[in-house]
This record gives sequence, structure tokens and C-alpha cells, in this order.
Amino acid sequence: MHRVKILASLLALALLTAGAAFGQADFSRYVALGDSLTAGFASGALFRSAQENSYPALLARQFGIANFQQPLVSDPGISATANFGALTLARLVPTPVIAPIPGQGQPLNLTLNRPYDNMGVPGVTVHGLLTATSGGFNNLILRGTGFTQLQQGLSLRPTFVTLWIGNNDALGSATSGTDQLLTPLASFEADYRAIVAAIASTGAKMAIANIPDVTSIPFVTTLTRFIINPQTGQPVLIGGNPVPLIGVNAGDFVLLTATTAEAQGFGIPTALGGNGQPLPDSVVLTAAEAANVRARVNAYNAVISTVANERGAALVNANGVLTQAATTGIHVGGITYSSAFLTGGIFSYDGVHPTPFGYAYIANLFIDAINDKFGTDVEPVNLFPFVFGFSSSAASTAQVVFDDSQAGPPFVLTREAGRNVLLSLGVPKSVVDGTPAPKPRKPGHGRH
Amino acid sequence: MQRRGGVTWRVLGAAVALGALAAVPMHAAGFSIFEQGTKSMGMAGAFTAQADDPSALFYNAGGLAFLDQRDFSVGATYIKGLKADFEGANPFPGEGYRASQKKLSEFPPHLYYVQPINAEWKFGLGIETPFGLTTEWEKPNQFAGRFLSTKAALRAFDVNPTIGYQVTPNFGIGIGAIARISDVELNRNVGVNNPFTNRIVDAGKLKLSGDFNEGYGFNVGILHKVTPSFSWGFSYRSQITVDYDGDARLTQVSTGNAQLDLALASRLPFNTKLPVKTSIDFPDEASLGVAYSFTPNFLVEVDANWTGWSSFKEVQIDFTGGATNSLPDTTLPQGWKDAYNYRLGLRWQANPTSQWRFGYVYDETPQPEVGVSPLLPDADRNGYCIGYGYTGGWKADFALMYLPFKDRSRNQNRPGAEADTFFGTYKTDALLLGVTLTF
Repeated sequence: MHRVKILASLLALALLTAGAAFGQADFSRYVALGDSLTAGFASGALFRSAQENSYPALLARQFGIANFQQPLVSDPGISATANFGALTLARLVPTPVIAPIPGQGQPLNLTLNRPYDNMGVPGVTVHGLLTATSGGFNNLILRGTGFTQLQQGLSLRPTFVTLWIGNNDALGSATSGTDQLLTPLASFEADYRAIVAAIASTGAKMAIANIPDVTSIPFVTTLTRFIINPQTGQPVLIGGNPVPLIGVNAGDFVLLTATTAEAQGFGIPTALGGNGQPLPDSVVLTAAEAANVRARVNAYNAVISTVANERGAALVNANGVLTQAATTGIHVGGITYSSAFLTGGIFSYDGVHPTPFGYAYIANLFIDAINDKFGTDVEPVNLFPFVFGFSSSAASTAQVVFDDSQAGPPFVLTREAGRNVLLSLGVPKSVVDGTPAPKPRKPGHGRH
Repeated sequence: MQRRGGVTWRVLGAAVALGALAAVPMHAAGFSIFEQGTKSMGMAGAFTAQADDPSALFYNAGGLAFLDQRDFSVGATYIKGLKADFEGANPFPGEGYRASQKKLSEFPPHLYYVQPINAEWKFGLGIETPFGLTTEWEKPNQFAGRFLSTKAALRAFDVNPTIGYQVTPNFGIGIGAIARISDVELNRNVGVNNPFTNRIVDAGKLKLSGDFNEGYGFNVGILHKVTPSFSWGFSYRSQITVDYDGDARLTQVSTGNAQLDLALASRLPFNTKLPVKTSIDFPDEASLGVAYSFTPNFLVEVDANWTGWSSFKEVQIDFTGGATNSLPDTTLPQGWKDAYNYRLGLRWQANPTSQWRFGYVYDETPQPEVGVSPLLPDADRNGYCIGYGYTGGWKADFALMYLPFKDRSRNQNRPGAEADTFFGTYKTDALLLGVTLTF
């Protein structure tokens, strides 16, 4: 009888330990570290209706966290340029026009007496997350405390951290038509390891996401290298052949920002009504530059994957899913979502950041990776409202004034819109506004 | 020759008329319908080792060899859907989402004619409806799965001339030819992203019809009455492929945004005939049964049935039109597996005119979890049957079958690019009532 009792208690103990060993992750204090993608940035701005569905906010909801704090900004949001909010689609036919909504949102949560749970800062690189205390969106989110994003996030003593950083180490380069703004691999690795080591030292569990192939986003892939007749939307044919834009070769990418230059006649021969000058270098990502950017992203991802393995972190394959979106599409309930600009449903009007559906889908990638790694049972986010809309959603009614008289190539990103996007990606102002001068070779170190 | 051809076509005409009634849900697992005779249905289809009425043409052609009078038998199975509900799961269409299929009321018919030629040779002609399905969703324009399917209907009937031969007084064989005539209809809505709202809106309705086309196959059967109280039987019906020619039509639906409607109208082939080809590989099936009479009035039969559903790998839809009347080809992956079902039947002769029958069938679904979708949600099922037969100057058979489906959940995706998330649980129940009259 006695022996049976002992056996029973041993069994109970074994079960308890097994229980503890299973589903091992504590989500009670969750902190998100990262950049614009973590902040819930969309359509070139940080604004409440997008932030409320940032992937960290969605994860917090699925983790059962009630009081998840974010640096909310009222609509139409704050962009990288004063007096302009989020981008909106002003017109679809005959030529789509995307322009920023005039005005600016106000910070709604500036007085929170502790760091935000979502510490994502638009525009920051790996080095910025580790070292920056001010500048750009840091001012809004780090609030001049003198502490870095990493320091503030870890001061909350999180039990669980998501980290998605490194996008801006490659994005700014791709969207500025160069391979010269890439963070050198050695400094990327050193900074990345320092960040993950700091998180690991707190004992928090981690999910870390890798970096998408930034040459597969609509900002880079949407425009063709051929001259388009704005009336028909079809390529102009001479002798049955399409006419390439001046200065653009096979395999080169014409960036979304090229539409302003094209409208001014750049890239178009005088015979076809253009000014006969090549497109500025800053709006063309050449095949060679794209290959270099891709190779660097792959190298960054190799670092991320290695570090994730070393630290026992869940690895979220954001790159894989964005590649799927750009190739076969993502299928949900018979709907095919893709990386196509405007029609694809995954990317917002800046051609870089996701739509609410895109963010919700990414949240589920995190959840899948976390459940796989830690044996937890976090319920996926219900995508229904992101597919069909929230029944109570108040559609943005902000109107945009734009110059209707100009016929341009398909997808006109107005000048302000383009400038906005680049600045938000941490592209230096000198590059965004500078005359296309020969690019200086950077000595091997990060930009911050 | 001329005359026989004429008869064939008249029979075919009647069959087409009958077939028009026969759009039904699947009432053996998959989309096969095993209820092709009411006597058999009372015993849950455990009939391969008996096959002692004209429905032998379907259940076991070997039984035809023992039929010794000219008989004409006609009947139908009334299939009443009691419940066909769907409950969503995350991530899509999400927890708390509910939808229902229309409750079906259908009458797949069967018709048999048996003519002994002499003591050994027998001829029979059967018209059966061995496959069919209808999956039609309520409120099709709100249904969250409307971009996968709003209504799918498949109809198939067999014209099945058969010869039976008594090799010995207790060993019979039969062989038949099958002409399967089938049509198929698939409907779904087409959704697009509204770029102004970044929400999915309906842009069109796609209806695809594969007209009546035919495919050919055969059936064979053996019935061996080993002793007066013990018999066994074996039956096989071959795989048949039907290639359909047809057309599709994409009807534009306003998205609620005039600019988007305009943009779509210039990109999609709305309101025009889109020629299309598709094909379905109907499975082969084999049944083995043994029957034992404990007393002259009380018989028990046990059958195992195998269906080669692995033939149903995918439905490939090829749009064969040109630049202006075509859509991208689609493949609907199915990836089914061969499946078994097990049948137990009891038969009790209460008096010379009355026979009671009871049956149970366990029917295993051939459909893998990743293939469960609003197009065709299949499940394991249990069938409980009771039947009654009257024999006088003519015969009448009645049977009732209660067919609850096991709840079927889909919570995972096929690996790879074809994965199309639509998670949740399907709950289905049906009641079947069979009536067959034999003259």
C-alpha cells in the first residue's frame, strides 16, 4: 500500500516536471524590439489604426496580455516629412496616383511613465537599435531619456522578446538604387550578436525574424524598364519592340520613385516627348547592385540563423514567406495574396511595409515559429477581419489634392510620397535630396 | 444492328432523364453512392454473397447467373441532409465563424432489367447512379469560403449491360460493360484586393460546366454457393475516366468602387464564353462478402469493400481559349487514398411474404485532412440500416439508413505553394430512404 503511494507521488512528480518541460515559454512580460516593421509602420507613416494591428500588438493579444503599450500616434500619422501623414491611393484609373495625406497626427501616449512594450523604431538599423538614443523616430519612441531601444526594452524585465532587426541595413540601399549603403557584414554580425547576447543575459526567451529579400518588394519590382504609354498602360512599341527607358538595362529595376523623374521626361527619348536624359541613378537599381544587395541579405540571414540556433531562439522565416508572396503567392480561402503593388493585398502604399493583412499574416508566422520551438499552444490570429474588414472600421475619408493634368507612367508616387518613404527607411537626407553625385565609397562601418 | 442501336439510344434517353435527378451528396465515403438497391440497403450493402435480386447487376454480376425469371426493377433512394454545418478555426475563416450547406433532398435512381436466356445464360441491363455529389453553401455571397466553392455538383450514371453464366448449379459468374455518362459543375466567386481599402471584395462569379461526356469500363463478379447455407461472392468494377468538354463564364460583380470595376473590366474576360477541359478519374472498387444462414430464415453477411480512390489525385482545369477568352489553368489537388468500408447485414424471413433486414456499415474516408475543403468535405461515417421486403405477385422493398458523419476537422495545410488555408470542422448527418419495386 505504502509502495503504491510512493509510486503515485513519483508519477505525479514526473508528470509535473514533464508539464514544465513542455510548453516552455512565459509570455507574461513581452517586449518587441525592431524597426518600422515592428512599430506597425505602414503607407509611409506611423499611425494608430496601423499600430493597433502591428504584429507585436497582435502577438500580445494572443499571449493574453491586456496592457501592451505602444507609442500610438493619431491618424493620419507621422511620416518622415513634416506636415504630411500616411500615403493614400488618390486615384486608380487611368493612372494610379499615391500621395501623402496633408496634416500630421499627434503622439497619444507620450506620457507613459515607463518604456513602451513595443520598442520598434522606424528607420533604425542593427547598430541603431544597439546604440541610438535620438534622431528620427527615436525622438518619439525613446523620448530623450538617453537610453537606447535595447536598454529601454530590457529594463522592462521581459520574459519573452521578439526581435526583427536588420531590414534597414539593406532596405535603404535597395530603395536608393545603390549597393553602397549596405552595412558591412562584420559590423552587422558584431552588433547583432551584441543585441541577442544582451537579451539572452536576462533569461528571456526569444523569437527572431530574418530579413526579406528587399529586392522582391513592390517598391523595387513594380515598374517595368520599358516606356509605357500612359493612355493605354501598354509598352510603347517601335518596330514591334518595346522601348527601354534610357539608362536602364535588362535585369535592372526601376524604382517606384522613378515615376516623378519619368513624368519630367527623364529616361524618355526626345522623339517620344521626353528630355532624352537617362533616369537618375538613385531611381534605378542595376542588376549588379541588386545581386550585391541580395547576397548581403543572404549573409545577414546566415548570421541571424546561426545566432538563433546558438541562443535557442525561435527563428521566423520572414524571408521565405516574402519570397513565396513574390513568386507563387499566399493562398487564403481561395484568395491569392501576392507582392503585386496595390492589387496584391500584402504591401501598403509605400511599396515597402505590409498592409494590416500582411502584418497579421506575419504575426501568425511568429506564432507558428514560437509554438514549434517552445511547444506552446498560442492560438493563431484570426485573419477574417483582415481579409474582409472590421465591421466597425471607420474608413479613412481624408482627401488628397493632386495634379490631375499630368499623364504619367503607371503608379505615380508623388515626389513628397517618394521622399517620405526613403527618409522613413533611414536613408540619409543627403542621399534622398542630394544631386546624383558619384557615391562615396564608405569605409567599413555602420551608419550611426 | 439498326434496331439494337435504336433501343440503346432510347434507353440512353431515359437514363439521361433519370440522371438529371441524380445530383446528390456523397453517400458512401468519397463521392460514391453505394445505395443502388433497396434490399441491399437494408443490410447496409452487405450483399455481395447474396446478390439474389436484379440489383445483382450492381452489387455482384455473378448473382445474375442465378436469376431465373424476367424481372423489371425500379427504385430510388431519397437522400435527406439533416445537417451540414461548418465551424471555422483560426487563422481563417476564424473561430466563431459559422456556415451551413443547403440541406439536400435528392433522389438518385436505379433501374434493372433481367432476362434469362436459358438455364445457364442470363442477360441484364442496369442503369445506376454510382457517383455523385452536391455541395452547395447557404448565402453563397457571404460565405467565407466562396472563393473556393459556392456550389459543386457532379452527376454520373452508368448504363451497364451484363451477361451472367452459371458454370455449375452453385457457381455463377458475370461480366458487364459500363458506359458512364457524367457532367460536372463548379461555382465560385472571384475575390480581389480593393486597393483603396486593402480588403477583399467580390469581383465576379465563375461558373464552370463540364457537359455530359462519357467514359467506359467493365465489371465482373463471382458468386459461389458452397453449401445451401454458406456462400461467398466477389465483385469488381473498373476505374473509369471521364474527360469533360465545357465552358466557363465569369460574370462581373460590382466591387462597390467604380474605378476598381473599370480597372478589372479591362483585365479580366468578363461575360464571355471561356472554353474549358477537365477530367475526373472515377475509382475502381472491389467487394468481397461471405454469407451464412444459421437457419433457413436467418442469414448474416459480412462484406469488405475496397475503393481505389488514389486515382483521385487532382482535378485539372484547363482553359483552352485564346488571349481574350481564357483564364489561367488551375489544379485542385485532392491526393486521396484508397479506402475500405466494412458492412454487416442480417436478414430475417418473418413469413413467406415478409423479410426484415438490418445493417451496419463503417465507411472510411479516402480524403486526407489537407484536402478537406468547402468544395468537398468528406468524413468517416457510420451507417445504421433497417429494411423491409414484401414478396407477393410483385416485390416491394423499403429501407431506412441513418448516416451520421464523424466531425471532420481541417487544421493543417498541404506543404508547399498549393496550401490554401480554410480551417474548421464540418458536421454532417443524413437520412436515406430507399424504395424499389420489382415486377
